[in-house]
Amino acid sequence: MAAKLGQYLLTIWIVLSLNFLLPRLMPGNPLAQLDNPQGSPMPLSEEQRTRLMAYYGLDKPLGQQYADYLSGLARGDLGWSISSNAPVLSVLLGRLRWTLLLVGTSTVLYVLLGIALGSFSAWHRHSLVDGFLLTVTSVAGSFPAFFLAMLLIVVFGVRLGMFPLGGAQSPFLLQAAPLARGLDIARHMVLPALALVLTNVGEVYYLTRNAMVQTLGDTYITVARSKGLRERRLLFGHALPNALLPIITLIALRFGALVMGAVMVEVAFAYPGVGSAIVEASVSRDYPLLQGAFALITVTIMGANLLADILHGVLDPRIRHAA
Amino acid sequence: MSRYSLLRALASNRLSLVGLILLGAFALAALLAPWLAPADSGVTFAPLLAPASGHLLGTNDLGYDLWGEFLHGARFSLFLGGTAALASAAIGLLVGVVAGYFHRGGFWLMRLVDVLLCIPRFPLIVLMAAFTRPGLTTLLVFFILFGWPSVARIIYARIRAEKQSEYIAAVQAIGARDGRILFRHLLPAALPVAFVRLVAEVQHVIMAEAGLSFLGLGDPTMQSWGMTLSHASRYPALLLTDVWQWWVLPPGLAITAVCVSLVFVGLALDPLANPRLRQE
Repeated sequence: MAAKLGQYLLTIWIVLSLNFLLPRLMPGNPLAQLDNPQGSPMPLSEEQRTRLMAYYGLDKPLGQQYADYLSGLARGDLGWSISSNAPVLSVLLGRLRWTLLLVGTSTVLYVLLGIALGSFSAWHRHSLVDGFLLTVTSVAGSFPAFFLAMLLIVVFGVRLGMFPLGGAQSPFLLQAAPLARGLDIARHMVLPALALVLTNVGEVYYLTRNAMVQTLGDTYITVARSKGLRERRLLFGHALPNALLPIITLIALRFGALVMGAVMVEVAFAYPGVGSAIVEASVSRDYPLLQGAFALITVTIMGANLLADILHGVLDPRIRHAA
Repeated sequence: MSRYSLLRALASNRLSLVGLILLGAFALAALLAPWLAPADSGVTFAPLLAPASGHLLGTNDLGYDLWGEFLHGARFSLFLGGTAALASAAIGLLVGVVAGYFHRGGFWLMRLVDVLLCIPRFPLIVLMAAFTRPGLTTLLVFFILFGWPSVARIIYARIRAEKQSEYIAAVQAIGARDGRILFRHLLPAALPVAFVRLVAEVQHVIMAEAGLSFLGLGDPTMQSWGMTLSHASRYPALLLTDVWQWWVLPPGLAITAVCVSLVFVGLALDPLANPRLRQE
């Protein structure tokens, strides 16, 4: 476990250092790109230029810049966002709750759905339903998340008018009663969450199915069955808990892909999360915001992976004792 | 575990046959793009034409022929996905086999692989793309850079397990040299696993490029399906009128079809790499 932790810390250090180095490795300096007249849609004001200069500390030696960058990070200072004219951290935290709401809801839904469908498929292996589920989830998982999002907008938003076309809430409901506001937020989240659930459910489904097929073939299941245990008890009491172990790892491994899917879905739905912030920052060349969002996302993903490793150790005595 | 079983696994599965046929059709369209596309890609026509005989998929808001864009997009996506995945698989296979066989140096090589695997690759590619606005070559470099470690990891594990087999001990006992054991025995054993990863990698690269382009992080002059979708998404009335049907639907469905095909092929190959899934 200590070795694992060391590896994560090493990786976080490398990623944050890349975050520091990349803009400085670009031809010229970060400001040169911003000053490029045809490449920059937003000319910089003198105040922004000064702020940016101070953020990058370009007049100081590289080692000093690096030390400042790291100590800034440690204090939670991610710099100053040019386009929002506010600290990057506060801009991102304002966006983060929407992303967490969307990603959290989608994760719970796609994991539960995947486990349910996967167990069902494994139990009825080689049946028509099994083949059908396998095909449908493979196809759904092959849609680029943003393309599926566009289709959902056309069908359920434009044609059927059932759900809003984008955004996270209706502006005129901001002062409404909590219940009305909650319902409004939920209505805005249905289509983005649906896009994420559909594009992600396949992996959990397939892994559950395979893990269950393998587990159901194990000798201890045969023993349990020959003891006369009911099939339901066999499935949920014996097979599923063992099959769930690799699923926890998968959820963590998929977390990065899910977040990036969320980025694209957010952009497609103009959902005001961290993902939209990345694209807005990239269009307006708000590099401090872009780098802040990158640092936040990477550290979150790696945190999720570390959590999965720890959970896996807690749940699986074989790993706990081997370590 | 020979080439024969690889082909048989593909041919005996209906879904993977559908996948192979679809992939073949797209590859053909990509190869023949210069002849199938009506005009050079630089030529513009009247903007926002509906599909008609001259323009199978109509034109976009700038007057570019969308059928031509579609064909060149097939070229771009398949070439990028195929090349990046092949290179990643080749590098990963080499590193995995060598690291698995020569344990002392291999251990440290695999620690490097572990660290690379730990980095969430798509966010990092997004960051690098935001700074560089990559074209084809830069994208290739990005995807290979982050593609090979996962292949190396899985091949390494396979080789380490295979090295324990009795037949390897037997070959060593009769005095076979390292090179012979590596290339005659261990490499063929690891090939099916590498092939399964290769298929998954093609799919990943095509998806990731489409995503990057959609986010507006690619070279805007690049002709890829993702770039067509990215341009389309910037057209204000896109989803409210009918234009999305010939502007968004063809490239979007094409990406989906290619990825589905690769998934089906991958599913058919899975039992080769994972013997516990084989039917009793």
